[in-house]
Amino acid sequence: MKQAQRPETSASPAGRDPQDAPPLDGIRVLDFSHVLAGPFSTRLLADLGAEVLKVESSVRPDRLGATKMELPPHRRQDRPPFFLNVNRNKHSITLNLKTAGGRQLAAKLAAKADVLVENFSAGVMDRLGLGFANLEPMNPGLIFVSMSGFGHTGPRRDWISMNMTLQAYSGLLMVTGAPGDLPTSISNSWNDYIGGLHASFGVVEALAEREKTGKGKHLDFAQLECSVATIAPLVLASAYHGKEPARMGDRSTSVAPQGCYRCAREDDWCTLSVQTDEQWQALVQAMGNPDWASDERFALVLGRLNHHDELDGHIEAWTSQYSSIEVEHRLKAAGVPAERMRRIDEIVGASDAGQAFQWMEDPPDAMLVTRLPMELDVGGSAPLAPAPRLGEHTNQALQDWLGMSTEDIAPFTDEGALT
Amino acid sequence: MARIIDLTAHSAVYATRLLVESGHEVIRIEPPRGDSLRRLGPFLAEAPDLEHGAYHLFLNAGKRNLTLDLTSATGREILLSLVSTADAVVGQSPFPVSREDVKQANPRLVTVEVEDDASPELCAYARSGLLAITGHPGSRPAVLGGHIVYGGSGLYVALAATVALYQAQRLGRGSTIKVSLQQCLETFVEAAMVAYTFEDRITQRRGYRGASTAVSGAFPCQDGYWMISVPHSPTGWRAFVEWVNDPVLMADTSLEHEANRLENRDMILDRLAEWSRQFKKQEIVEEAQRRHIPASPVATALDMVHDPQLEARGFFDHVDHPTLGSWNWNPRGAVGVVSGRTVGPAPRLGQHTAEILRELGYSEEDHRRLLEAGVV
Repeated sequence: MKQAQRPETSASPAGRDPQDAPPLDGIRVLDFSHVLAGPFSTRLLADLGAEVLKVESSVRPDRLGATKMELPPHRRQDRPPFFLNVNRNKHSITLNLKTAGGRQLAAKLAAKADVLVENFSAGVMDRLGLGFANLEPMNPGLIFVSMSGFGHTGPRRDWISMNMTLQAYSGLLMVTGAPGDLPTSISNSWNDYIGGLHASFGVVEALAEREKTGKGKHLDFAQLECSVATIAPLVLASAYHGKEPARMGDRSTSVAPQGCYRCAREDDWCTLSVQTDEQWQALVQAMGNPDWASDERFALVLGRLNHHDELDGHIEAWTSQYSSIEVEHRLKAAGVPAERMRRIDEIVGASDAGQAFQWMEDPPDAMLVTRLPMELDVGGSAPLAPAPRLGEHTNQALQDWLGMSTEDIAPFTDEGALT
Repeated sequence: MARIIDLTAHSAVYATRLLVESGHEVIRIEPPRGDSLRRLGPFLAEAPDLEHGAYHLFLNAGKRNLTLDLTSATGREILLSLVSTADAVVGQSPFPVSREDVKQANPRLVTVEVEDDASPELCAYARSGLLAITGHPGSRPAVLGGHIVYGGSGLYVALAATVALYQAQRLGRGSTIKVSLQQCLETFVEAAMVAYTFEDRITQRRGYRGASTAVSGAFPCQDGYWMISVPHSPTGWRAFVEWVNDPVLMADTSLEHEANRLENRDMILDRLAEWSRQFKKQEIVEEAQRRHIPASPVATALDMVHDPQLEARGFFDHVDHPTLGSWNWNPRGAVGVVSGRTVGPAPRLGQHTAEILRELGYSEEDHRRLLEAGVV
């Protein structure tokens, strides 16, 4: 394949055979993003081998995970645990963008970057003189990623967004749960993950395109659109029928019974999903062949779909006699697809779950962190490395990226640009 | 642009949809009777059929479609012949053809193998820990609606595919990336993992009230619900109180501290719920945003159809669909909006079988024979 001219920064570090390096080895990412969607996205890029330089300031540090938490004394105290998980495998530089020197260095670093990621509100980077229009002439290969809530165009581009407001705006709360339920949410930062993954995908696509064209681009992602896209089939159906799609709760449109059933302990639940008539017979047997189950109406899937409420009443009367562990065990033994509701304590350290988490040395301690949920047979992913301390790599990055000497750096330190 | 063969199940099919949005050629292979995605409702028709399932229409949009019986030797042979022309195969592991045959057919090929034990979505969701954090405290937990969770896993698969293609472009050789569906879902409970390993705290379902900050949640209004999230800071609180103009909340200055708000959360939220009933969804969130308070409609899927922001950004575009006719709600998708590309209609079952066979060098006569044998 024809290789167009590439910016000099994307060469692999000397001495490393690119066949043995992670796929994004040699790619430099300048990361202005805060909290979750952006930092999650750049963690994925770091795991794939990119060098991520996180830009923060001690006057405006990334507040991710910053709740007042009592940490055991042997733990790292400088950043909250969630921050450490999301920002591992990155480097940190402190630049005060309120100073002219800070902005000047940021622009110089951007001139050397392959990718710049920011999730400020629309217009903030432009006002700092660090918008795509400012940087592109200096670095035509730059891939500039914006990840604001609503995008940099449109009547609501200045709206403030948070994870919960985006969950709500994207329709997630009203397509989740059963008919008549209150708005139903997920207690994690779902939208940040969805937005971050879209952005990482977009970055790598843009890198591949740049190999051919030599040109970068501005990727103006809207977090709202990322989330709406994952609900798009139901939006299509609404547009066609002119009414809301049915809320399905835990049921399926095509198989029955399927649901989440109450078990004997407190807040104890087990899911099951009968996919075939044979599995239905297996369920009946597991429940001890009760009389009600021989009802003709339940023999075939259509009948079971039509009488789901009645069926659920019977099934739950059975499940509620046992713990979810017992119900799951009996159903699996009978060949019925089932899984109990597991909380995090039944996932971390389990032999059949929790493989997405891996121990990482962070001297003097070690911590469990999230790994990339994939295995690469060529080059592998980047080895796990602890999150940086605030500003840990300030001087090193200025030397490595910009070739600055200690004397070059001194005036910026004096100006307060590096705080 | 790459040519990608799509053998994904529902858990990863959003990946190949994203590759279409990015401009790649995607050929989806289905059994001659059509796959389960086509049978998944709701349908954009009065009665279910294979061409109007909402999930099929969105997730397969812009792809080419080849029907192939991969249980037959001839079907697998045709697949290998197609593989020799492709850049990548993305699909559920194990593939219907052996890894050796694939590598032999195309040494530069990229493969993304999704390790999915075919557990029902609800069960996989329960095992991942996500079910325990979805829904209302104490009541029946819920799976995310609309199969949204497969959007999450599909995104990881899309990332794997683009990375492997990029690497192949640079190194001139193919590679294999295996993506674990279970691990994909588990990554989304990482905050619970951190809370558990650092604080011994087990994250539970928090429901719709006070889920992020003390004063946050979904509240009823005239025409549905709206969502607000008042920031931790005293300034955020003051902006909120000034707006709501509630004498009780204004009088109590101790509420400027988040800790005190947490203690009095139900009282505050009850008053907020009562107050907001007088407004319409759009007017109340527009006023909140004007005051720089994070708020949004609790939108329904139908609200999205005429959303001013999505409309202005060109999230939907027009498509001439063979049976839906002139159709204005063809989603470009989040990547499509950024790439500026339009995505064509979803293919009919077997729509491109004849032309793909022709491209591979099969004659009309071969095609007729394959049809008779039920291979295509």
